[in-house]
Amino acid sequence: MKDSLVLLGRVPAHPDSRCWFLAWNPAGTLLASCGGDRRVRIWGMEGDSWICKSVLSEGHQRTVRKVAWSPCGNYLASASFDATTCIWKKNQDDFECVTTLEGHENEVKSVAWAPSGNLLATCSRDKSVWVWEVDEEDEYECVSVLNSHTQDVKHVVWHPSQELLASASYDDTVKLYREEEDDWVCCATLEGHESTVWSLAFDPSGQRLASCSDDRTVRIWRQYLPDNEQGVACSGSDPSWKCVCTLSGFHSRTIYDVAWCQLTGALATACGDDAIRVFEEDPSSDPQQPTFSLTAHLPQAHSQDVNCVAWNPKEQGLLASCSDDGEVAFWKYHRPEGI
Amino acid sequence: MASPFSGALQLTDLDDFIGPSQDCIKPMRVDKKPGSGVAKIHIEDDGSYFQVSQDGGTQKLEKAKISLDDCLACSGCVTSAETVLITQQSHEELRKVLDANKTAAPGQQRLVVVSVSPQSRASLAARFQLTPTDTAKKLTAFFKKIGVHYVFDTAFSRNFSLLESQREFVQRFRGQANSTQALPVLTSACPGWICYAEKTHGSFLIPYLSTARSPQQVMGSLVKDFFAQQQRLTPDRIYHVTVMPCYDKKLEASRSDFFSQEHQTRDVDCVVTTGEVFKLLEEEGVSLLELEPAPLDSLCNSASAQEPTSHRGGGSGGYLEHVFQHAARELFGIHVDEVTYRPLRNKDFQEVTLEKEGRILLHFAAAYGFRNIQNLVQKLRRGRCPYHYVEVMACPAGCLNGGGQLKAPDAPSKELLQHVEMLYGMVRTEAPEDAPGVQELYECWLQGEGSERAGRLLHTGYHAVEKASSGLSIRW
Repeated sequence: MKDSLVLLGRVPAHPDSRCWFLAWNPAGTLLASCGGDRRVRIWGMEGDSWICKSVLSEGHQRTVRKVAWSPCGNYLASASFDATTCIWKKNQDDFECVTTLEGHENEVKSVAWAPSGNLLATCSRDKSVWVWEVDEEDEYECVSVLNSHTQDVKHVVWHPSQELLASASYDDTVKLYREEEDDWVCCATLEGHESTVWSLAFDPSGQRLASCSDDRTVRIWRQYLPDNEQGVACSGSDPSWKCVCTLSGFHSRTIYDVAWCQLTGALATACGDDAIRVFEEDPSSDPQQPTFSLTAHLPQAHSQDVNCVAWNPKEQGLLASCSDDGEVAFWKYHRPEGI
Repeated sequence: MASPFSGALQLTDLDDFIGPSQDCIKPMRVDKKPGSGVAKIHIEDDGSYFQVSQDGGTQKLEKAKISLDDCLACSGCVTSAETVLITQQSHEELRKVLDANKTAAPGQQRLVVVSVSPQSRASLAARFQLTPTDTAKKLTAFFKKIGVHYVFDTAFSRNFSLLESQREFVQRFRGQANSTQALPVLTSACPGWICYAEKTHGSFLIPYLSTARSPQQVMGSLVKDFFAQQQRLTPDRIYHVTVMPCYDKKLEASRSDFFSQEHQTRDVDCVVTTGEVFKLLEEEGVSLLELEPAPLDSLCNSASAQEPTSHRGGGSGGYLEHVFQHAARELFGIHVDEVTYRPLRNKDFQEVTLEKEGRILLHFAAAYGFRNIQNLVQKLRRGRCPYHYVEVMACPAGCLNGGGQLKAPDAPSKELLQHVEMLYGMVRTEAPEDAPGVQELYECWLQGEGSERAGRLLHTGYHAVEKASSGLSIRW
């Protein structure tokens, strides 16, 4: 299983600091990394190695916790512990901070662009999730402030095709939000994790959501629409989400990130035990009760906690990871034979 | 536990992550005694502290008491634990005073005055299926039954808030050339908005805020100054309770600006929410329906109507509407019959314009709810705010939808809100300058509009709250 994940290279992305998060641009040609050194770095491939093409250094006063590319690939959003979110516009290799979103009371933990490119979501330790709208003149306005969580909100992610937003929190729940009239409302709360939910990932179809937690499990939730064949009860016209699979016993520490490959459906996890794991769904498993098998387990992938794993959106099997040790690593994943 | 405070206040003032070394700035008197030596502190089984000096003598130490006001005076680290205290204490406080009155000697009794807001009355009217007039009269009967001496309507004090707001806007509009911060004028009657503004954007936003007191606090002045004199009582002998649609009003009443150092008394001693009144009714085993209506009290004789009156312009006081119509008349000689509101990105953000020959003369807005407050403040910070006046309220849909209003046990909240709005709107409106007793009070009590007394009793100030920034107060 070690051979299914092969190291391609490492870069000391945020020296003397933590590297917190990674994001591939939609074209799969650039990787943005961010860290405790308050910087965002953009990496591109030149020949056989990954080199730093840009450094975004004047944006934040504190740790940059997450970065996210807009669907068109021309903008990058960075969420920081300094309570702001910067929007950077790409001009070839240069990035210019075109606007700073303020309003959160304290550390912004995550930022995510909706598939339409018109909406942005941020979440914070102030327990709120904000939805922002961008107009033609690159002006951002707050559309909604959602106070559904009772604790620090760690991550937000949008559904791949619908305007449905998901958030993960220190309050052990996952919440889903949608637009209703002129405001956004919480339309579902997913309970089951026994500790902080750190990250979320939708599957390529958007029908399933993976969540990972401090309780050392990954849960797979499936969406059931009203009047579904399986008889899962729904309230009104809102879909229900049911936990259809729990991956437990595989991770020995907190799972900080989960990434669902949009090309192959493989699930990668980043763990506090310094390891990277990959799971694949058994092809013959029942969609209502799917089973996943561990297809790769690389202990000591990094010398400290792995904070993020990110699948390249265009190149199959290309996975990037980053760690508290400040490094970014690139991996090639091959599904083992006989699975 | 879901907090009943407005969204704006929750996000800025409730903090469950108090850093261990955050300094409490409550000034404690330390009586320094001469002599050296380190004292030891001994804790008794009952939790009391004794200081043991070198010669063995012991001295009981007084427990430091931090009141809610001290906490708010600091950086506002009101934890959610304290909000529970705030929300539970008020109607019990009223009870205590009423009970004390029963056993007190005649000269020691306190005169209990209750001022009811029209929004609370509308909420109770909806619950009991009564008209606003009947609700007002039955509420008066109920309060008097439990020992309250007078029951007033804050719609009366609102006349002053509106008139002062009108006057202030015209003054600031005319003085635009002399100050970059004259406009926009942002209303200040909503304490949820004020707490947010003071704490998050203090020095930036304060110059824009209207200095006119809210109806609650004008009533405070009326009761503790005018009425006290009339009754030949010192202000501390009056116990003034207000009935409000939200909890944020409790914080407004606790502001040091509304505490009289001279008489050591607050303008408003206790704020009770609509929900707390309902609890009081339940505890007394009384239904409003059963009560015989009592005649309404009024602060001055010329104002003794037997039905309540209100103001146009929505359930949050009507500031935008009144200031707009007054400004159109005073500044441009234009008489506006009906104010037309244009909703913008959502129904809690509306615009009103006065145009003439293609030119915009007045551009006003109403921004309710935290998301709209955010956008307004960001526009202001970037110098992109096109408005001359903004009516700002922390609660979506305004005061009728306040956190202290009665909730519908079975009906959807939207329908209940519409019902409450309808009942609120049923009350006959009148222009503040025409309300009986108002002109009289300006002349006799305040010694003229724009007088020093009017400035002191009808206006207030704001204070930027600096965030405690100590390296040790890092939050993780």
